[in-house]
Amino acid sequence: MSFAEFLNNYMYYIGAFGLIFIGLFILLTKKNLVKVIIGLSIMDTGIYLFLIAIGYVHEGTAPIFSKPGLNAEGMVDPVPQALVLTAIVIGVAILALALTLAVKLYKHYGTLNLRKIKEQKW
Amino acid sequence: MVNPVLLIVVPLGLAFLVPLFGLISKKTGKYFPILALLFNLLLTIKIFPQVLSEPIHVNIGGFTPPFCINLVAGPLGILLAFLIALVGLLVAIYALSYIKEKNEEKYHILYLLLLTGATGVVLTGDVFNLFVFFEILCISSYALVGYFGDKAGVESAIKYLIQGALGSGFILIGIGLLYGQFGTLNMADIASNIHSVEPISIFVPLVLMITGFGVEAAIFPLNAWLPDAHSSAPSSISAILSGIAIEVGLYAVVRIVFTVFGASSIMMFLLFLGVLTLLTGELSAFNQENIKRMLAYSSIGQIGLIVFALSIANMNGITGGLFQLISHTLGKALLFLAVGYMIVHTGSMNISSFEGMGKKMPYTSFFFTIGALSLVGLPPFIGFPSKFMIVKAAIFKQEILYTVLIILVLTATVVEAAYFFKVIQAIYFKGEAKKEKRNRAPFKVLIPLFIFAGLILIVGIYPKLITNILESSAAELISRTDYIKSLIP
Repeated sequence: MSFAEFLNNYMYYIGAFGLIFIGLFILLTKKNLVKVIIGLSIMDTGIYLFLIAIGYVHEGTAPIFSKPGLNAEGMVDPVPQALVLTAIVIGVAILALALTLAVKLYKHYGTLNLRKIKEQKW
Repeated sequence: MVNPVLLIVVPLGLAFLVPLFGLISKKTGKYFPILALLFNLLLTIKIFPQVLSEPIHVNIGGFTPPFCINLVAGPLGILLAFLIALVGLLVAIYALSYIKEKNEEKYHILYLLLLTGATGVVLTGDVFNLFVFFEILCISSYALVGYFGDKAGVESAIKYLIQGALGSGFILIGIGLLYGQFGTLNMADIASNIHSVEPISIFVPLVLMITGFGVEAAIFPLNAWLPDAHSSAPSSISAILSGIAIEVGLYAVVRIVFTVFGASSIMMFLLFLGVLTLLTGELSAFNQENIKRMLAYSSIGQIGLIVFALSIANMNGITGGLFQLISHTLGKALLFLAVGYMIVHTGSMNISSFEGMGKKMPYTSFFFTIGALSLVGLPPFIGFPSKFMIVKAAIFKQEILYTVLIILVLTATVVEAAYFFKVIQAIYFKGEAKKEKRNRAPFKVLIPLFIFAGLILIVGIYPKLITNILESSAAELISRTDYIKSLIP
């Protein structure tokens, strides 16, 4: 298998896991709370892409038997897309709550630097 | 036949009716949780006999599994749904007078959603559905931890949220990997095909899912959020988080490990993880000054004990683990509720401020003592038969490793006894004995405390009352082929 063929087959997975690891890196290393939340969001995007890539069929159509002559091989798997829609909604809810809490935290401490917010000791 | 789907639909529907009725009267909101959970409690009691003989399957949309989203009301699911409804109902009665903030409607909506999520997790038979209900549970608990909006609450909530969201990301990757390999999301369908692929390709999703659910279940290296979140949440929410949320997380781990993956080789790892969780929890609890933080660390310890018992993975072990789960839920909910009103009275969470509390709040102190003694494992309370069953299971294994580990477990129990007796000593035997005006908690608060204490005592004296149910729940976990066969003919 040549390199171009490899890229052609696995591009989506490479991109998805690339985003997941970028998000994870931001989540683990950044001090600013808003950046941490952005990292969480990037990681979630990577996961959605990964889920979509599972069901992807090259040049596939929507899975609706509208025209005669369509067969199941040429259709995109609809289940991962349904999963991604649900997951996006959940992701938005988490993001909204996280940003709300960030605003409240800023009101209390006057900073978003996580190294300085440590009233709750371990 | 009563449809178990009502267990999820009724609380969910009533949760969104709260703001609607709030337009008419602001006072009605707090009665909705009681209504919904009373309904759930009665329904679970009604379908219990039926479930014990044969699990009820609900196929949503009229398709047969594996093509539909299905609910599986087995003995274990209904037992936990019953426990959620019972604890939820009693805590809701407690919250009638405990929650007095301005926007109490929000509290009751989130509270109902939390319990809806918990009930959904224990009843579902579909991996992605499990994830969705799990997220409902998690998101409402993040919001409830920060409900008071004070400094400590918001900080703990954001800490909890970031760790929880990372965990749910891992779960979703695991689900994606499973779907990619098996083309299905139905638990029974995945379980029946799981051994047809190479072990390494199911190992990765298994690890991702244990990590993800383990964050909520507070298994050892993943429990950094717990002491903060449990100590700074409102006391009624601490009781729910400690008594229900982490148990539901644990249920998800157990369901994934036992039923979906049938991973018997990972049990040894979980066994050590359980003992490690137990030791870190109990030893950290020992030198806490803050009472709620002490109880939170004690929850970590108890979860470790439950993980240890479940990882013995035979009939005795799992029965003991589930028994300990029930005993921890009742005991810890009672402790957090009792402590909640003591904190309202003294205005401080410091253990030293509770001196002489036995005179000032005699009933609350008495119930606190019952809860503490039960968690330590003294007869005649429920903690004794449950811990006894775990010790028995470990010794019957007749292997040197289990004997060594059970010695460690019993050592940790002694530590637990030490810190609980420290608090009991402060309550009854310290502080001046001058006659103060007795300051009782309101009657509405004492009712749930009394019922919890009564249940602890009754089941402790007569454990045969529930061992039958526990054994059929344990059988559901052990015999995964029966579970698969009942769904995929």
